[in-house]
Amino acid sequence: MTRALLLVVALLVALTQAGLSAQNQAPTPRTADGHPDLNGVWGGGGGQGAPNFVQKGDTLVVVFQLDGADPLAAGNYFQELDRRGSERKAAAPNKPPYKPELATKLKEASDLQSKLDPAFYCKPEGVPRMGAPSQIVQTPGQVVLLYEGRNTFRVIPTDGRPHRDDLEPTWNGDSVGRWEGDTLVVDVANIIDESWLGADGWFHSDALHVVERFRREGDALTYSATVDDPKMFTGPWVSTRTLRLNTDPAGALVESPPCIERSGENQVTNDHH
Amino acid sequence: MRLGIRALLVAAGLAIAAGPAVAHHSLFAVFDEGQTVTLKGLVSKVEWVNPHVYLYLDVPDATGKVTTWSVETFPPSTLRRAGLTREKLGYGQNVTLLGYKARNGKDLAFLRTITFADGREVMIALGDIKEVR
Repeated sequence: MTRALLLVVALLVALTQAGLSAQNQAPTPRTADGHPDLNGVWGGGGGQGAPNFVQKGDTLVVVFQLDGADPLAAGNYFQELDRRGSERKAAAPNKPPYKPELATKLKEASDLQSKLDPAFYCKPEGVPRMGAPSQIVQTPGQVVLLYEGRNTFRVIPTDGRPHRDDLEPTWNGDSVGRWEGDTLVVDVANIIDESWLGADGWFHSDALHVVERFRREGDALTYSATVDDPKMFTGPWVSTRTLRLNTDPAGALVESPPCIERSGENQVTNDHH
Repeated sequence: MRLGIRALLVAAGLAIAAGPAVAHHSLFAVFDEGQTVTLKGLVSKVEWVNPHVYLYLDVPDATGKVTTWSVETFPPSTLRRAGLTREKLGYGQNVTLLGYKARNGKDLAFLRTITFADGREVMIALGDIKEVR
């Protein structure tokens, strides 16, 4: 059983790498000023995914995926969803390197996520929590990043100007970009200390500093965020993701419905995913 | 070792997945999976918002007094993937609705099934899509 699982994992990883390297071998288009052309919808776009419904006779069954559970049966599924979420968080392979003395505070924040997480209550996720953009619009001297979730935009100058010094801290911070060879490097400062870096209680200080890198090879975009917080971390925290160019017209971005939180006040326990 | 394999599977899943799953509150923290309620009434409003879509059901009692129940369901993105719209969730129609009751005793439930006058149903479920294919 264990060996079979490992084989499946190895196969999945190999297939993914094979798929990505095939995409990497496509030529990398360039803009008139010679930089790699980052324009396009990257990743899922349009919020679509694998089918999550089945028509059974007169009944349309719509499923929120809980692996291995029979959707038509009664079960303790609400708790099971939470249990698996906690397990997934505990086993997360890449966590921010918090200083050991913050462990107690971090556990408190994690335990009270459904009370304390600003994004739970519809505040922005912000940089870097919201991850890679859904779409990139690149013009000479400026890159615009669009995020479908919560209808978010970032305008990033790439003409060499410095950070602004006339703004209060914000959820996405102040970004300036530059090209290092074929990699777009975005420096993000002045991020509000109210945001979290993830739903597992990952708070940060006003010393948060993020460097994002965008590199296109063929039809694959590698996005990485190097996050440092000298007041909270023992060193930088790097996360990386590779996205595919999405040329499907159905992947065009659409407006996300507004975030209006109505459940928080009805929670009678501190359970969370 | 089991945890190690699971971590690997999670890592492989992350490498392949198009994006992170959106998770909001614990259903357990708000609703009682062991307590269902059946309601008959008019779907007077469907609020198509994140992080959860809400239906509002006007339920008359024997004397004709109307109570408006709030019925929570999945996020808009999940419903949209299944082709659901406000109309397909019964907006403007009289329906029979089965839901899980809120633990705090409010006129609030989490949607399980909507049954329409012609017998069609929409069922909302946690589970494995592979189990019902």
